[in-house]
Amino acid sequence: MENLSAKYGKTLNLDKLTSYCPGCGHGVVTRLVAEAIEELGIMERTIAIVGIGCGGFSHHYMDIDAIEATHGRAPSFALGYKLAMPENIVFTYAGDGDTCAIGLGDLLHAANKGMPITTIMVNNTVFGMTGGQMSPTTLVGQVTATTAKGRDTALQGYPLLVPEMMRSMEGVKFLARESVATPKAIRKAKRSIRKAFECQVRGLGYSFVEVVVPCPTGLKMRVRDSYARCANEMTDYFKPQVFRDETEQVDVA
Amino acid sequence: MIQETLFLKNTETFAESLARCGVKYHFAYPITPATDVMKRMAVILPRYGGQMMQMESELAVSSALAGAACTGKLVATSSSGPGLTLMHEAIGFMCAAYLPCIVVDSMRVGPGDGDILGAQSDYFVVTRGGAHGDYRTVVLAPSSGQEIADLVPHGIRLAYRYRIPVVFVIDGVSAQTTESTTLPAYNDYSAEFDTSGWAFTGTKDHAKRALITGSYSHQDGYEMNERLRAKYEVIRDKEQMWEQDGVEDAELVVAAFGIHGRMCRDLVSRMRADGKKVGFIRPITLWPFPDRAFEALGSCVQNILVVEMNLGQMVDDVRLAVNGRIPVHFLGKTGGDLPMYTLADMIAEADRLLGE
Amino acid sequence: MLHKCTISGSGGQGSALMAKMICLGAIKEGLKVVMTQTYGIEQRGGDSTAYVIVSDQPIGSPIVENDADIAVALSSSTYANCFEGVVPGGSLFTNSSMVEAPRDARGFRQVLLPVSDMAVELGTVRCANMVMLGAVLAGTGLLRLEVAEEVVRESLGAKKPQLVELNVNALRAGFAAMEKEGN
Ligand SMILES: Cc1ncc(C[n+]2csc(CCOP(=O)(O)OP(=O)(O)O)c2C)c(N)n1
Ligand code: SF4
Repeated sequence: MENLSAKYGKTLNLDKLTSYCPGCGHGVVTRLVAEAIEELGIMERTIAIVGIGCGGFSHHYMDIDAIEATHGRAPSFALGYKLAMPENIVFTYAGDGDTCAIGLGDLLHAANKGMPITTIMVNNTVFGMTGGQMSPTTLVGQVTATTAKGRDTALQGYPLLVPEMMRSMEGVKFLARESVATPKAIRKAKRSIRKAFECQVRGLGYSFVEVVVPCPTGLKMRVRDSYARCANEMTDYFKPQVFRDETEQVDVA
Repeated sequence: MIQETLFLKNTETFAESLARCGVKYHFAYPITPATDVMKRMAVILPRYGGQMMQMESELAVSSALAGAACTGKLVATSSSGPGLTLMHEAIGFMCAAYLPCIVVDSMRVGPGDGDILGAQSDYFVVTRGGAHGDYRTVVLAPSSGQEIADLVPHGIRLAYRYRIPVVFVIDGVSAQTTESTTLPAYNDYSAEFDTSGWAFTGTKDHAKRALITGSYSHQDGYEMNERLRAKYEVIRDKEQMWEQDGVEDAELVVAAFGIHGRMCRDLVSRMRADGKKVGFIRPITLWPFPDRAFEALGSCVQNILVVEMNLGQMVDDVRLAVNGRIPVHFLGKTGGDLPMYTLADMIAEADRLLGE
Repeated sequence: MLHKCTISGSGGQGSALMAKMICLGAIKEGLKVVMTQTYGIEQRGGDSTAYVIVSDQPIGSPIVENDADIAVALSSSTYANCFEGVVPGGSLFTNSSMVEAPRDARGFRQVLLPVSDMAVELGTVRCANMVMLGAVLAGTGLLRLEVAEEVVRESLGAKKPQLVELNVNALRAGFAAMEKEGN
């Protein structure tokens, strides 16, 4: 354990074996979030507000206070928390189902309000926890537990591009989509997640990072294949990019 | 702010009383007749170093309320029926999470989107619960502006003592009534309570805390519910409140809460002046329901008349409390140009029962 | 002491303001007040009725249910309702400038005063409500005239100082006219 803590810092707590499935993208994103908190030295005043879904377990692996919100409402919980304790750093962490199915309204209004909170949306194109059902980000033709013949656009529309919906919102100060498909992509994701937190630390405004990840269990794939899919089909549609980065501009805080 | 007597709409009295008693953050979404609460909060809270935040749905309102309550600070919201329906997700959550907060419901005619006319039709949803699981909230039913001002400190203390949402209900007619009310001087009642043992303020203040209301072990879930059960028993035992008059020798007892309860005072004094043996019980806590007031009724009481601005909700609790011992009659109305009974209507029905 | 008042008028006549003035004055006198306004759909064509209860005791029923001991009809469209709602022994103050054919009052007193005409003479018809308020005070002793004047000064003073004198004069004119009636 000493070694790990020397490597990852105090925020990440790997005393417990994670409950994520082997190869799950949440493991990587959780670590990146913990590293960003560690590097910015904000662990003692950071609060995780996690959604319902596999990502809801993420806080167990970080030595920070955490609130498990109701399904889809983490952004609203975060707004209330931040209003009452502006000196603390508040981030939400949830899957695509929590964030952009049931929680889309809460999410977009929180983003539009522009208060300095941070959202990490972990997009694995399915509802992982409940057994691989279709989510708003399920790819066209993708077979899931509830789309036996693949997602049919006539009935279910097209996969939802969430950060693209926020592009016109002035209050969103850092906006990116990243993936964990390759070591290089992970390094980029790490940078964006760190910037999203930095954006809040500096009081600039709302920050959002979508991270495209594999869910081998929900997709009923071998780990290796699920990463290949993440590097190809998934990121072909969900193109990783930094849409906006105002952390590079003047400091207002 | 000093103690002062103002002429205020009762919705505004809620806002003033909450702010003067320590509420710092208020979340709401517009809905008649509750909107006046958030309007006044928006103006006055900054004077107390707080803020009103308008959200984009009542789901978001109650979620933000829950998020803010996690800090231990005193938070509130206000709404009416349709909004309250949406808030239940977070109300149930806050019960499981042991979070204090104040909810104000100005009741209007339902079901569906309903009518902006006043009603008492949310009795069931606030006392039985509109969310899943076994939970209770304390429910207080003031019947006048002055009683709002007088009950708010008590409500805040209950919210923190038991770490539970406290719901104030008022019918929409009373909500829109303007009255002279003596408001208290500023005093933050939540400051009487130390929240450092549970608030989620960051690991600079304590070892890691996690608020978990799901995904626990079966045993943890069982224990959480047993703790809630024990807490609710204590509240039931200690916190029943009601007003009563003339019940000692009464042949007829009229039971009503809120505006009809307030009218009972006139009903009893008028009928007593005519030599009629009438008394009244006005529940102030709707949960815990004041069973004790009804259990104590003597054998002189031949009938109970329950009057409500709905189709019969509190009457169920009265029947449970008397457990068949005394016949319980019901007079209820919802909607219409005057969505309630007049004193004359109530006296006529009381006379009819006395004549039986 | 307990007074139940029905104050009614049509759009722009300021019946609600008149009711509010009574409430503010009563609070100054340490009394309790409750004011309710026309419920729901009953309100038509800009008519408005305010119900005020003034008491030295906590007020029970906040509803005036056709048992007003002080009633005011500023307009002809609200007159009939107002007339029906006066308790025996009560007083109905009728604006005879607007109500052309007042009915015979049985069991209660009716005061006929052309408050709109009087207001025009004072400068504007808009202060008819204050003329009427002065008359009600003289005719019922509901509040002292000085208290009503204080309320006018406090509620108009800050925002519309130029209107204070006009309204105070209107109050006094109504008060004097009522006293002359030999109440
Ligand atoms: C109100 C409500 N509806 C449904 C559920 C059931 N549920 C639990 S997790 C989940 C979906 C999670 O999917 P996602 O957010 O994509 O997270 P993942 O598990 O894939 O990380 C659902 C529908 C719930 N807990 N609450
Ligand atoms: S089901 Fe999918 S998202 Fe959930 S832990 Fe397993 S791999 Fe991860």
